[in-house]
Amino acid sequence: MPSTRPTRKATGTKAAPAPSKKVVPAPAKKAVVAPKSKKRTVEEARDESDDEFGEVAIDMASDDDEEDMDGDDESDDAEDFPEEGEEGQDMSAADLEEDEDEDSEGSYMDGDSIVDSQEELDDEDAEDEEDEESDFDDLVEDDIDPNFGHNLNEPLAPESDYNPIIREYPEIDPVYDSDSSTEENENTVGNIPMHWYDDYPHIGYDIDGKKIMRPATGDELDKFLSTMDDPDSWLSAHNYKEGQDVKLSAEELEIIRRLEGNRIPDADYNPYEDQVEFFSSKTEIMPLSAAPEPKRRFIPSKHEAKRIMKIVRAIREGRIVPRKSGYVPPKPKYYNLWNDAEDKPREEHVMHITAPKMKLPTHDESYNPPAEYLPTEEEIKEWNEMDKEDRPKNYLPQKYNALRNVPGYGQFIQERFERCLDLYLAPRVRKNRLNIDPESLIPKLPSPRDLQPFPTRLAIEFLGHEGRVRSISVDPTGLWMASGSDDKTVRIWEISTGRCMATYHLDELVTSVVWGPNKDVAVLAVACGYKVGLILPEKLFSPELTLHSEEYLKAGFANVATGEPNPKAQWKQPTPAEFEKGIRVWVHLQKPVKQVTWHRKGDYFSTVAPDANNSAVLIHQLTKHQTQQPFKKTKGAVQRVMFHPTKPMFFVATQRYVRQYNLQRQELVKTMQTGVKWISSLDVHPAGDNLIIGSYDKRLCWFDLDLSSKPYKTLRYHQQAIRSVAYHKRYPLFASCADDGNVQIFHGMVYNDLLQNPLIVPVKILKNVHQRVEALGALCVEWHPTQPWLISSGADHTIKLFS
Amino acid sequence: MDAIADGPQVQVKFVTQQRQFAIPETAIQTPARLRRYGLSQIINLVLQNEGEKQRPFDFLIDGEFLRTSLAEYLEEKNMSTENVLTIEYVESMLPPTPLSSYEHDDWVSAVQAHHPGGFLTGSYDNHVRLWNKQAECTQILTGHNGAVKAVQWLTSDGDNGTLLSGALDRSILAWEYSHVDNNHSILYECRGHTGGVESISLNATGDRFASGSADASIKIWTTIIPTVSDHIEDVTETRKKRKTVKEDRILKAPISSLNAHTGPVSAVTFSSTSADTLYSGGWDHSVRVWDIENSVNITTKNCEKVVHALDYSQHSGLLASGHADPVIRLWDPRSEDSSVVKQTLSGHQNWVTSVSWSPSSSYMLASGSYDGLIKVWDIRAKGALYTLSHGKASKKVFSIDWSNDILLSGGEDNQMKIHKVQDMTDRAEA
Repeated sequence: MPSTRPTRKATGTKAAPAPSKKVVPAPAKKAVVAPKSKKRTVEEARDESDDEFGEVAIDMASDDDEEDMDGDDESDDAEDFPEEGEEGQDMSAADLEEDEDEDSEGSYMDGDSIVDSQEELDDEDAEDEEDEESDFDDLVEDDIDPNFGHNLNEPLAPESDYNPIIREYPEIDPVYDSDSSTEENENTVGNIPMHWYDDYPHIGYDIDGKKIMRPATGDELDKFLSTMDDPDSWLSAHNYKEGQDVKLSAEELEIIRRLEGNRIPDADYNPYEDQVEFFSSKTEIMPLSAAPEPKRRFIPSKHEAKRIMKIVRAIREGRIVPRKSGYVPPKPKYYNLWNDAEDKPREEHVMHITAPKMKLPTHDESYNPPAEYLPTEEEIKEWNEMDKEDRPKNYLPQKYNALRNVPGYGQFIQERFERCLDLYLAPRVRKNRLNIDPESLIPKLPSPRDLQPFPTRLAIEFLGHEGRVRSISVDPTGLWMASGSDDKTVRIWEISTGRCMATYHLDELVTSVVWGPNKDVAVLAVACGYKVGLILPEKLFSPELTLHSEEYLKAGFANVATGEPNPKAQWKQPTPAEFEKGIRVWVHLQKPVKQVTWHRKGDYFSTVAPDANNSAVLIHQLTKHQTQQPFKKTKGAVQRVMFHPTKPMFFVATQRYVRQYNLQRQELVKTMQTGVKWISSLDVHPAGDNLIIGSYDKRLCWFDLDLSSKPYKTLRYHQQAIRSVAYHKRYPLFASCADDGNVQIFHGMVYNDLLQNPLIVPVKILKNVHQRVEALGALCVEWHPTQPWLISSGADHTIKLFS
Repeated sequence: MDAIADGPQVQVKFVTQQRQFAIPETAIQTPARLRRYGLSQIINLVLQNEGEKQRPFDFLIDGEFLRTSLAEYLEEKNMSTENVLTIEYVESMLPPTPLSSYEHDDWVSAVQAHHPGGFLTGSYDNHVRLWNKQAECTQILTGHNGAVKAVQWLTSDGDNGTLLSGALDRSILAWEYSHVDNNHSILYECRGHTGGVESISLNATGDRFASGSADASIKIWTTIIPTVSDHIEDVTETRKKRKTVKEDRILKAPISSLNAHTGPVSAVTFSSTSADTLYSGGWDHSVRVWDIENSVNITTKNCEKVVHALDYSQHSGLLASGHADPVIRLWDPRSEDSSVVKQTLSGHQNWVTSVSWSPSSSYMLASGSYDGLIKVWDIRAKGALYTLSHGKASKKVFSIDWSNDILLSGGEDNQMKIHKVQDMTDRAEA
């Protein structure tokens, strides 16, 4: 062991300076002293390398725990070492290559030649060898660890045989405890604070467990005396563990001195030893390894065979196409950096957009522009008054007598700066124009020409009202029209001529007039203030019809006497004067009535009084003079109500929702979410499956009741609030009128086939049908029951018929 | 001739069916730039009409009036200037001249003229007015309870006569009048309609008349003056109503009712050649041909619009109809096709509510419209020949009647207007 240590050190130094490893060995006396005698010179390098080889061989052997090293085995061992190492290396290299192979397989397929790949293979082999060597270094280096010596506690006899060169080593006392680390260590208490034993007579235990008694010490005087006696006392140090003073040796003193001087304690250690190049380009006369060439050097590599087979297979399968014979590899391109003559700018990228060029100066930028370019006084004034952004150009043409009189241009820096910004900061994007024919985006709708008949021109004006005409209604025969107006009158007109046939003067604004839908009963319901009147227009109808209607209207009075008077609706007889006029029944309600609508059979009618909270909607029965309140509580302000044209259904439009109720089962069937802010009007398609609403926020929504609770279509054509919407009873038409005075006519075809959605086509806009008076335009639209004629009434006191 | 002889020339041959204006049928070289006036001058030159005797002529090429120069016409038709062009010429109708207009108390809804009898007007004030030939209102016939929508002469010899009037009160009254003692009386009341009477027409022989009503029915009545009331079931008549009806009125029931129409019947007119053929039009967009003897609807012709007025021309055998659109449609009632319109005349701006054929010409008709205009048409010409204003602008014209040389019209402006129209009896001989 003592003999191995220095050589180990030497091997450590050869590979690379590794100071940590050199410091690690314990600074034991012998260890420090040992390299002292070692002389190292450059001349020795060769020997050392030999020596090194031998050492390494032993190390490896010892690593393999081959304790018995006979002389016969030695050479084998020595030969084995590199082979083993190389084998390992080879394997790992092969693995690496395998990886590389797989990586580079793509490139083969791209048509590289075999020659190339063969070269590559060779290169790789060379690399392998290099790797081997460097790894060898590592291997050697890694094996040096500070505990190495403990593995080999026994001296190796054969070493001297193997190593012919004998070096001088310091004398070592061959007793067991000659090692400084063990010689004084009798006290076995270990590294504990010794004051723990201050109160005891002993200071610890020896290896046999016996107490080590504290050596007797004198007092301070004795100490002093002893120091005075002993001239070397200043060289001694107190060992607390032993409780004795130990005299420091000369070496120890030297170490202390060196430590104090911040020098390396070992005087012999040379931190700047010469680098010894073991693996160099020089061909050694005596190589590091004298081992004969291994067998595998002479047999073909399996790995290479594998790789070649891979390529061969690829060629057979056609994945790699060998180059033709006359192939000349393309010359690598070099750019001549210094050739100015051929310095052509590269072509711009396809997407490059050059910055716009600055406009060339024109005449008016001249210092002496022609007179016609000089601005007049007014132009200067106008220019000065304009905002900076609005000015067509940021200067005024000015005239100077000479160029030298032209002052510096104040905006110069600013303009240059902005130009620079524009040149390199402005993003220029090539915008792809959508090459779509806008016509093709318009849904394919039939031409309005094919959807005739629909009203197109004004035919008749009905003049006579002196207030806004709020409501119009055409009687079921289509001959008469009733209109209710803000002038507190109801008028009845002959439709075909526009003649006013009758006028009823009432005491309140007329908000709603509706003819009873029953052809056998001629009755006109009129909403007027707080009451609803039922008018029987005389003379217009045949005596038979009139008589029948008279009896129909009268029938309820007999009934009402028996029942209790309903506070919400009181049925009253008209005064004789009113009776003479034609009014037959009054229904007094609690709040102003906004709308009256009939059930299809003409017996029930419903009224809407939005202010009446829960009793906003009332249903009255004409023949029995009874009034029902269908809803205990109404949700929201009711705007419009409507009976279903065929089924016992009832539609209630509040501000935002339209609810459909089943009157027989008394339940809510459906809630339509209109998406509008405020519903103004409602109409149900005569087939009953569709309805339209108009809203004050200019929208018209078409609901398909079978489809969804959301609008099937929302149309926004009007400029102002929609006042009224109406379906034609026979023709597939509907219309809306708005405060902008326009009336829009749509073709709204509902198919019997449930799979086909309704077809909505705008067919006609009647513009400025009614003049706008106090922000109100057209107030009501109504279709003629049998003809494709539209009647509209407006705030300009007129009613107009379009055909 | 020399002055107008320059420019391209066309060979034309003038023919006429009016013998009094006949000229030799030889080809004449005429300048192509000539218009109607120039050609008319040529004819007058050949006829040696001078001064007052000069007459205006109209020129027909292939049955179409020449309204441009000859050159333009040839260019438009892609015809060669080399060929001989045959031009028919007819004496022009002079523009109608307004004679006078007569104020009524209310809208004039029905007018009819009679040659010896004078004029008859019905008004929205429920009265029928009788005017003599000097256009003096001689009698005001009071008896209706609603606006009079139709009037019809029955017989008249100038001083005495009978007439019919239909009104919105669903009744038709037959009147007898005498100018001699300034007297008039109701002969009988025709009851049976449940809607206003819109139209009355007398047949050619004068023994039947038909009435169209808003109750979608046509009723046929005899003109025999009954001595006793027909029994009419009138259970719904109220006591009050009965008071108002004069008991002395003789009631008459229809002999038949034609109920095929599905909407109000707005116009009925008898064929002037066959006493049994009735034409009717209504709000159901149909024009129907009836055989009243058998009460059979022979043919039905449909269009897209409400029929407001109907007139039958005895000369051409065509039906003219006015509709709830600005177009006049001409029908051939003899054809079996249900929806073939022979010709349309457009030029009005609003509904055409009355049409009247010229009594003398097979090509001329007049129409009155809600746009306040009366138009005189020649069906051979593209547009209207003359446009006459009835009265104040855009006041509706409800009724017109063309009788001999008189064109009567009544409208919303409470006026009955008389236009003097050139009598073309002599031209119709062809």
